Amino acid sequence: MTSDGFRSYRSVVLGVAWRTVHNALTTPNLVIPTLAFPFFFFLAFAGGLSQLSHLPGFHFPEGYTSFQFVFVMLQSAAFGGVFTGFGIARDFEYGFARRLMLAAPHRSALVVGYAVAAVIRWLVVAVLLTVAGFAVGMGVGGGGVELIGLYGLALIVNSAALLWSAGIAMRFRTIQAGPAMQMPVFLALFFAPVYVPLSLLSGWIHAVARGNPVTYFLEAGRSFVSGEAAYAGVAFGAAFALVAFFGLWALRGLHKAEAAGG
Amino acid sequence: MPSKGIEAAGLVREFKGGVLAVAGIDLHVAEGEIYGFLGPNGAGKSTTVHMLTTLLPPTAGRATVAGFDVVHEGPKVRKAIGAALQEAALDPILTGREHLRLQTALHALPREERKPRSDELLERVGLTGAADRKVRTYSGGMKRRLDLALALVHRPRMLFLDEPTTGLDVQSRSALWQEVARLAKEDGVTVFLTTQYLEEADVLCDRVGIIDQGKIVAEGSPAELKASIGRPTVDVVPADHEQRDRVSAVLAQFGELTQASPHGVAVLLSGDEFGLADVVRALDAEGLHVEHLQLHAPSLDDVFLAQTGRTLEGAEQEQQTELVP
Repeated sequence: MTSDGFRSYRSVVLGVAWRTVHNALTTPNLVIPTLAFPFFFFLAFAGGLSQLSHLPGFHFPEGYTSFQFVFVMLQSAAFGGVFTGFGIARDFEYGFARRLMLAAPHRSALVVGYAVAAVIRWLVVAVLLTVAGFAVGMGVGGGGVELIGLYGLALIVNSAALLWSAGIAMRFRTIQAGPAMQMPVFLALFFAPVYVPLSLLSGWIHAVARGNPVTYFLEAGRSFVSGEAAYAGVAFGAAFALVAFFGLWALRGLHKAEAAGG
Repeated sequence: MPSKGIEAAGLVREFKGGVLAVAGIDLHVAEGEIYGFLGPNGAGKSTTVHMLTTLLPPTAGRATVAGFDVVHEGPKVRKAIGAALQEAALDPILTGREHLRLQTALHALPREERKPRSDELLERVGLTGAADRKVRTYSGGMKRRLDLALALVHRPRMLFLDEPTTGLDVQSRSALWQEVARLAKEDGVTVFLTTQYLEEADVLCDRVGIIDQGKIVAEGSPAELKASIGRPTVDVVPADHEQRDRVSAVLAQFGELTQASPHGVAVLLSGDEFGLADVVRALDAEGLHVEHLQLHAPSLDDVFLAQTGRTLEGAEQEQQTELVP
């Protein structure tokens, strides 16, 4: 790509990201779910289920609030990607995507723009969640590097969820495809060791959780908080693999949208 | 070498289920020309525009816009063109100014140019006062004007307008015509516009292509097209509708009888030898009283009628009937 081409590509990415973030953060019916879901889960799980930490074999020295903080952080990242996917579907359904597709020389820049917006949108939630976590006495055993690992992992999960949702949005081009974006992410999150560590799960749920990449994101994230950095390689490897796979999925979706006329 | 205007050869678009929206269109639009694509709803106008603007790939055939192939050089085509499509693709949450901010970014205008260019365009389309209002508060005419401003952000060489005046009041329509004419005349912009309004095609366009059922059925300047029909028609409605046959017999002396209004009789005058006065005198000589008598100069609707056997209005109604189960 020439320097002129790169400048044009970057400009489209920033334009799309600006508009998506602007709408997400200034429209009450978009901003409220973005913030309400993670805070509801954090309050409900960390507060209501804290007695689970007294189960035999439950070992997480930083406490149940920190244990759930990691889940809520990853959940907010994944849902941030999905909610941005809803916006893509809405843009196609109401015709705004045509404006974008008519103006953008390289249309993959549109997908990258939405992905950047999803990251920014999640970062706002992540900052507020972190402040809330520390405000309610969340313990952190790890140092700055481990915490960066947690946020980095969540950021990759955010991008994977956005690319998954973008692929669906551009194939169906209607907001009615929302459940198809959200449900698999929701199931993947909850077929993982959400409330207790993997070692305390048994039966079929243990078998499912062992094969679920979200399990390794959670285990790695919790180990970052406790300063142990376990499962980091597997978790990052799986997260990057998902981004690569869903990146291709999203680009195929873009080609389908182009073939259908936007 | 492809022209810098629009060239299309055998352009076809078939949708799922075998619906043939565009059935093989050949086009040549010269640089700086205002070309009107006239036809009823569902004739294939918008599908053609979508293909020429790279929104929709053709099923067959090829087209170049501003010298670039619409399939293989999409990014170059998009840089060269501006487009305002039928339903203004605007975001109700953004203000007019924010739309321009986004559009200048999508076209990668240098940062220092973005605000002055936005201000200039808002001024040109008369939206300076409403620039900071959310678009959901705009009227239909304001949305159209904003859409036009957005299409012009990057100073395109070619402008596609898909039914730009549909739903506008007379004043807004006239203002938009003036602006389009100015763009072509002063800035040398090539304009490809679709319309279902005869007057719009007649007043604004250098050349007109008449499209029906996915095919161009006639093409030329409005004057040429009307001249191809050639002769005026006289339409007579007798005061006593029972005397229709007698009126027909009189009118048949002056030319070929043709389709008329209900209760009326019409004749396509043959050559220059007869005029309205001759018809009036003949009717008077037969003692026939008339309720209505009109000399009808050829219009683009007559061209459409001659080529398709239907009027534009009739074609509209057919389309609507087809849509209603």
